[in-house]
Order: sequence, then structure tokens, then C-alpha cells
Amino acid sequence: MFFLKELEKTIQLHPSYFGPLIRKHIHRELLLKEEGSSTGSYTIVTILDTFDISDGIVVPGSGAAEYTVHYKAIVWKPYKNEVVDGVVTSVVRTGFFVDVGSLKAFVSSSMIPSSITFDPNATPQHWTDNGDQTIEKGTNVRIKIKGLRHEVDQMFAICTMKEDYLGPLTA
Amino acid sequence: MKIKSPPNLRYPVTVTELLRQRDDPVERSEGLFKYYYEVKVNEVDRHEQSKEVIRRIPERFNSPFDGTVSEWFIKSGTVIERPGVDIVEIEEPCTHEIQFGGLCANCGKDMTVQDYLTDQRNSERAPINMTHNNVALLVSEREAGRADEEARTRLLSAKKLSLIVDLDQTVIHTTCERTVADWQADENNPNHEAVKDVRSFQLADDAHSNIASNWYYVKKRPGLDEFLERMSQLYEMHVYTMATRAYAEAVAKIIDPTGKYFGDRILSRDENYTDKLKSLQRLFPTNTDMVVIIDDRADVWHYSANLVRVPVFNFFPGAGDINASFLPKQQELITTKAKVKHIDEAVTSAESKVVGEAVEISPTEVEKEPTESANGGLTELEQQIISMGSQNDPEKLEEQVKEQEELIIAQQTERPLLQQQLQLDKEDEEAEQKEEQESSQESENGESQPTPHPKHRHSILHDDDRGLEVVERNLRAVHDAFYDEYRSKKRALAGGRVAELKGSPKKRINNVIPDVKILMPRMKEEVLAGTILVFSGIIPLGIDVLTSDLALWAMSFGAEVVTEVTRYTTHVIANPDRKTTKVRKAARYPNIKIVNVDWMLQCCTRWERVDEEPYLIEMDSDDRGASPADDLDDSDIGVVPDEVIGQPTTRVSIDMTADQWENIDAELEEFMNETDDTDAESDAESLASDASTPSNGTPKKKRKRLNPENPDESGTDDSDASVSSTSRLQKRRKRTMGRVSSLTNMVVAEKSSGLPSPETTGPEEETMEEGGEDVVKPLGVDIDLDDGDYDDGLEAEMLAQFEAAASDDEDGDGNGE
Repeated sequence: MFFLKELEKTIQLHPSYFGPLIRKHIHRELLLKEEGSSTGSYTIVTILDTFDISDGIVVPGSGAAEYTVHYKAIVWKPYKNEVVDGVVTSVVRTGFFVDVGSLKAFVSSSMIPSSITFDPNATPQHWTDNGDQTIEKGTNVRIKIKGLRHEVDQMFAICTMKEDYLGPLTA
Repeated sequence: MKIKSPPNLRYPVTVTELLRQRDDPVERSEGLFKYYYEVKVNEVDRHEQSKEVIRRIPERFNSPFDGTVSEWFIKSGTVIERPGVDIVEIEEPCTHEIQFGGLCANCGKDMTVQDYLTDQRNSERAPINMTHNNVALLVSEREAGRADEEARTRLLSAKKLSLIVDLDQTVIHTTCERTVADWQADENNPNHEAVKDVRSFQLADDAHSNIASNWYYVKKRPGLDEFLERMSQLYEMHVYTMATRAYAEAVAKIIDPTGKYFGDRILSRDENYTDKLKSLQRLFPTNTDMVVIIDDRADVWHYSANLVRVPVFNFFPGAGDINASFLPKQQELITTKAKVKHIDEAVTSAESKVVGEAVEISPTEVEKEPTESANGGLTELEQQIISMGSQNDPEKLEEQVKEQEELIIAQQTERPLLQQQLQLDKEDEEAEQKEEQESSQESENGESQPTPHPKHRHSILHDDDRGLEVVERNLRAVHDAFYDEYRSKKRALAGGRVAELKGSPKKRINNVIPDVKILMPRMKEEVLAGTILVFSGIIPLGIDVLTSDLALWAMSFGAEVVTEVTRYTTHVIANPDRKTTKVRKAARYPNIKIVNVDWMLQCCTRWERVDEEPYLIEMDSDDRGASPADDLDDSDIGVVPDEVIGQPTTRVSIDMTADQWENIDAELEEFMNETDDTDAESDAESLASDASTPSNGTPKKKRKRLNPENPDESGTDDSDASVSSTSRLQKRRKRTMGRVSSLTNMVVAEKSSGLPSPETTGPEEETMEEGGEDVVKPLGVDIDLDDGDYDDGLEAEMLAQFEAAASDDEDGDGNGE
């Protein structure tokens, strides 16, 4: 699910950037460091333009200045039972792996409808129902999150495809 | 899952009531049964009298997980005495056999949670990773076994085996030197032809590191496309490399653009947990019966029985393996000067590459060019870093990464290839009149007919590697052997009705499938079976000979490796430039073939006994001519102590390191001394023998060459030693054997080593039979003469020995006459 969240970030700036364009530098630094990063429970999708930079404080001993930036960002936090779209990254005998943004998901064979079976002899290996549904590396799939776990900077999910309207996306 | 009594109860406990009956559902932390235990407590009554009483304390045992009770192993009244007793069997709705990132892939539960009820963490149920490209997916042993089973049936039905392919220096060679691109663009460059098909790529993740937009130049081993095409009919192929994921994928795209050979079956350093070793269990956790590996290094596989060792592919001289800084350092060999007689340039091979270049079927001299440029220095650093510690600490890893970067930068900036080519060009100019020939046989056997060569510029790169052909032949042989045995076993099974009734169908099929781990060593051991090798001047000091890379390799081919030259030795693998004590000693036995290391490497790559002739090291006539008598005696009598009967004579057990050290020391000492006096001596000697008895050396040498193919039977055609002398000698030996006494333990003051000879142990009885005919061989003429003395008894023998040892030179002269 997507949220609008207020966040805070401390940015250190090298003295060589001190000058009339200092706000621009801070902005760039913020976008570079934060956008797309994952904290383990949510991913920062995009940073909104309005942000608030505190006064800079020179760090004793280094000459760099420290700014505290308050900003708003759209973040994505996956929830159990959320339906998500992702891209298949790898297909194995026991299931297939899906990347949903920063979330690494796995759909195991027990979570795949029984009509879709694994074909190890095909190149590349894929799951198929021998009809129009084929799941191989690069396929877009719609899946539902069954379990989630957060680690320091990454998230893992177990997903299912065994419900209505889930499966490979044609388009 | 069966619940056993946990270790944290107060035993003994007595069960009072079962709270769930059979087939009742139970949830986590719900009570399963009630019990009580008894403790002694001090109680103080109202008269302030302290008294010890036994109290019963009732407790409830809670279920550690959800499920249905399927069987009770206790009933009310049961006394549980100790931990580990079966209590109850609970059938779980999900056994969490496949886990992904700490989640159960089937039920989505978090496997890492731990609370007061946890006695075994759920994450421990699935400890095995068997996917190529993911470290987060783990499976249980049962699931892994199922997967293996499935893969096996699939392979059997397709008549295939699994083949694990290493990338760097096995099927490709990579360098980072820009020179390659320049040569590719320049059609006039002598190297243009060789680098024409070199492919290049850049890696995105290099942008983070200090190497700015680095280009990798990949040379496919000649014949690779055809090799992969043909092998894919026989094998299901996997890539297993110590390079990064990105590199592995980029290379895979080059050698297998459509993905039909390897598909997703690529395992890189990123998924390998350790950067020291490659493990077969990583991909085939339960069953490795149908797996064959091809790799240029055996040490990273722990000399696995599944390994087919491939001659190193070293196309860009000096480039080495750019991903090798993550591997343990390869065992080095003593840097040798390859003796290329007809070419004036002295060719030094750089560091450990000796092995590699030597293995190549057609090594050219130019490839052995000195590469003491950036690379030599760096590898030393590399070694230091690797020796710093074996733990997998991040600091070290960082250093290794840095090391790799340095290596790459060095290749980029110093351009060793270019330097070498320039040097070569210069040499070409200098030696313009001299015809040089670079045909492949030339360097192989060191003797060639120099033919006029019109080419004016020589190229540093040579596109003539034939390693894959040999490998293909071996792989085909393994495949054929496997399926031949499978078919014959299956037929036998189909015939035997009794066998069919025995055991489960699964068990039966298991019996039918041959094991590559048994099959391949069997094929390999035939190659050098019966040979007894001694290494001399090949393995550097400080490395245990018997555990050195070369020795282990030879042993895997059925050879026996010993540290000392004895009569039973069949081959001495020597350094052609250094005449060590062992070589000298071996030269006295005409049956011992003194060959350079190429011979062994050829045998071990081609899996066949190669003719020794082209690899023989020329021996001076005086060395050859010298009598083996003195050495013979000490190996016969002096060395064999009577108390250790029951071991073969020549086998030196590995724990004899002290002796080996002594030998090595002695050899070193000898070598040091040699330079001053012995050389002069031998010079004089050779002069004398050349002058006086010129015919002496030659016939013996010839004799040695007569039968290079069958060293085992070499004794039979030895015409010099008469039949009578053999039988006399045998008699004598038997007699000596008969009166084994402490006297036989005597240490012969051997002049050559200056140290007591090592006590090789063993029963003479056993070796007599096999050694009997060998004995014929080393007998010089002088022994026949001396025989009478020997007959007189032990004292005479000792005397003769001392004499023989003391007057080495005289002996040699006497021998001549």
C-alpha cells in the first residue's frame, strides 16, 4: 500500500559545495540517497518537492556542514493479503522468484494452481499450463502476498497465485 | 513431528493426565498433558523448626506447535526419567520444508520467531540451499532428496549426466588489457588473427568500484562452441565459477547466447557462501553419483572424485585468472627453465603457471615468456593476503576485492601483453638469421628440425590450444562407461526374479545406477597403475611432497608416490635443469626413467600412459654408467629393519614427515655442496670416461630406451645381467632374509647424502615376489664379481658396503672396466 509519509534525513555537505547553489546540492543529495531505498519495512518511491532544510551546522574537525532535511515522500509498504504485480526473475523446480519493486517474493509450487506445471526440459525452464499461461524469466505476474518478513534493508514475501484473477499478465 | 522430552524439565517427572486424545487438534502453547515432579524443600514450621520435605509440584506440558495428535507414546502414570524420550507424535499442517528468506514458502509463516516454547527453530528444518542463483531459498533434506531423485530420473531418461563447468581458464580466458582491442583493430598486427574472435563486455557494477568503465576481453577456448554443442547431448551442464554473478552472466551470454546449454544453471561466487572452495553438495546435496566436474584446479574441489581436471587454458600470457584472488593460492612449483635446446632464448615460465603451460597439449615457447612484469609481484601480494587468515572476515574480503582491482588496474596500465610483444619483436630482429620454428611438436619433445620460416614477426598469442579435444574424449568415455554399466546392471536385474522381489522399487533402482565417483577413479587408476614415482626438483622445499598438488594428482591416477629413489621406483619426475641427488641416484638404475614433469601431466590429462621417450631427460654417461651397487645394498639390507614387517617396502606413510624433512634438508645441503667440488669432480669424471671408455655410457642408455612403454617388464629383456647372477642374488637375499637380526638395522654411512638413509620399512618376503624380477635389472657387472664376497656372510657384506660407500668414485671407475 502507498502512503504519504513525513520523513527526516541528516545530510552532510562537503565545504566545496558551499555557495549560492547550496540548496540545489542538498536536494540532489537527498534524491540520490533516498529515492528507491528500502528501510526494511517500506520503500521510498518518490520524494515530493516541498521540503524544509534546517540551518547548517559545521561539524567540528571536518569542515563539512550538517543539514537536517524534513521532507514528504510517497512510500510503499507491503501488507499481507495485498495483491501486487511483479516481474519474474528466476524459475526453479520449487517455484519462481518475483521482484515487486524492492520486495523479493517467492511463489512456491504449492501456491501455483495445479494446472500449471513445471517443465524442466524447456529452454528456458518455465511453468506452463500448456495453454496461454506460461511463466518464465521476465513474465509479469499478479500475485497475492501470503507472508512477509522484514530484515534490515530488505523485505521477503511469500506469495500465492492460487486465487481468482491472479497469474501471468498478458500485455 | 515427534516431540521428545525436553532437557529443561525436572526429571524424573510423572505423567498424571493426557489432555488430548488421539486425532485431537492442538494449537501451539495449548496443554498436551499434565505431570508432576518432586523436589525437596526446606520448610520452617511455626515452631521455627526447619525441616526437609518432599513436595509434589504439578505442571502442564504445552505443545510447541500446531497440529493433530497422531500418536501417544506415554500414558498417565508413566515416569519420564530423562530428556530425549518420545512423548507424542503431532502431525503438522505444514512441515516448512521449503523456506524463502526466513518464511515458509508453503504457509507464509515467519520461521525465525523464537519464544519460550521453541526448542528447535523452524528455520533449522530447511538448511540446504540447492538453487543456483538464489541464497534465500532453502529446503529440507527430504525435499532436497526429492529434487535429486526427480533430476536423476529426468537425466536417466534423457541418457545424460550432470556436468559442472568452470569458466576462467577452463573454457575461457579473460584479460582486462586494452591492448587486445588495439590488436583487434589493427589487421597488420601479428596477433590480429588470434584475437579476432575475442569478445568484450563491461560490467555495470564496476561503476561503484575504483575501476572506471573496465572492459573485459574474453577469449573462448578453441573449439568451445562445438564442444558445448556435443557435450549438451550427453550432459546437462551447469556453470560454477568463482567470479561475480554479473561477470558469470556476461560470460555465459558470450559462450551460450541462447541459453540452451546452461539456461539458469549458473552459480557464482555471490551464491557460494565461501570464496575458498567449490562444493558439489551446494548443487547436489544428497546425491552426486551422476555428476562430473571439469575445472582447471583440483584443490578448490578438495580433489573430488567427480573431477575431470582440465589443462589450464592460458591464452593471454601473464593474465592468469582474474578471479583467482578469491581462491586459495595455488601450490607453486619450483620455477623451472624450460629447456628448449634449439632455441637460444632462455625461457622462464612465470610462477605457478608452469603447470598450466606444461599441461597444454601444444605449449609454445613464446607462451613461456618471462612475465615478471606486474603480475609476478602482484601474485606475491596475493599470496600474502590469502595467507593472512582463513576466516571469512569482511576486512579480508574487502582486501581481496581491492586486490582484484589492483590486478585489473595493473593489467590496464602496465599492459604486460604489449610489453611482451614488443620484447618479442625485438628478439625477432636480433635473431633474424636464426630460423625459429614455432610448431607445436618442437616444444613438446624438445627436438625438432629447424626449418626456414618466412614470417618476420612473431605473435605473442597462440590460438592453438587443443585442451578441449582431450577433455571431450574423457567426458565421452565417462558417459559411455556410465551408461554401459547402467544397461548391463539393468539387464541383470531384469533377469533375476529374486532380485526383483527384494527391497522396494526405489532401492532397486538405486542399486542399478552406477556411481561416477567409483567409475571415474577406476578408469583413471589404470593409467599410471604400477608406477612408483619420485619427484625431484619439482616440488619446492617446505611443501610436503605427498600432499602436494602434483603428487595427489598422480596418485589419483593410480601411481604410487614415494620420497626416496629405490630399486622399485619406476619413474623419477625431475627438473631438467637441476641434477639433484635423487636424479643422480636414479640414473644409476637403468630401469628408472627420468622424465620431465610434462610426461606426468600428459598422462593425467589424456588419461593414458604416454610414451616416455619424448620426455626423457638426457643423462650424462657417467651418471648412467655408475653402478647402482651401493644404493642397492642400502635399500636391500641396511634400510630394512626387522621389527616392522607387514608393510610394503616402498610405501612411505604420510606421518614420516620428519624423515622427509631430513631428506629435503639433505638434498639442499647436497645441492649447496655440489656446486664447489662435485661438479668439478663429475666434470673430470665425465672427461675421463669419455676419453677412456666412450662406448660405456651409450649401450646402457640405449637399453633404457628400448622399452619405454612397459616399465614393469623392463627387467625381462635385460640381457646384461645373466640368469645365473639373478638366481645367485636372489639366493643371497633370501639368505639374508633368513637371518634377520639387529645387524640389519645398520646405518650405512652414505657419502652422497651425509645423513642416515631413511628407514623405509617393510617385509622383504612380500616384495620378493614382485621385486624378484626387478632385481635383475639394477645389477651391474661388478656385483657379479663381488658375489663371492657376499657369500661369505654378513660381515663381508657390511664390509663391502662400507667399501662401496666410501669409494664411490672408484666404484664407478671399476664399473667401467
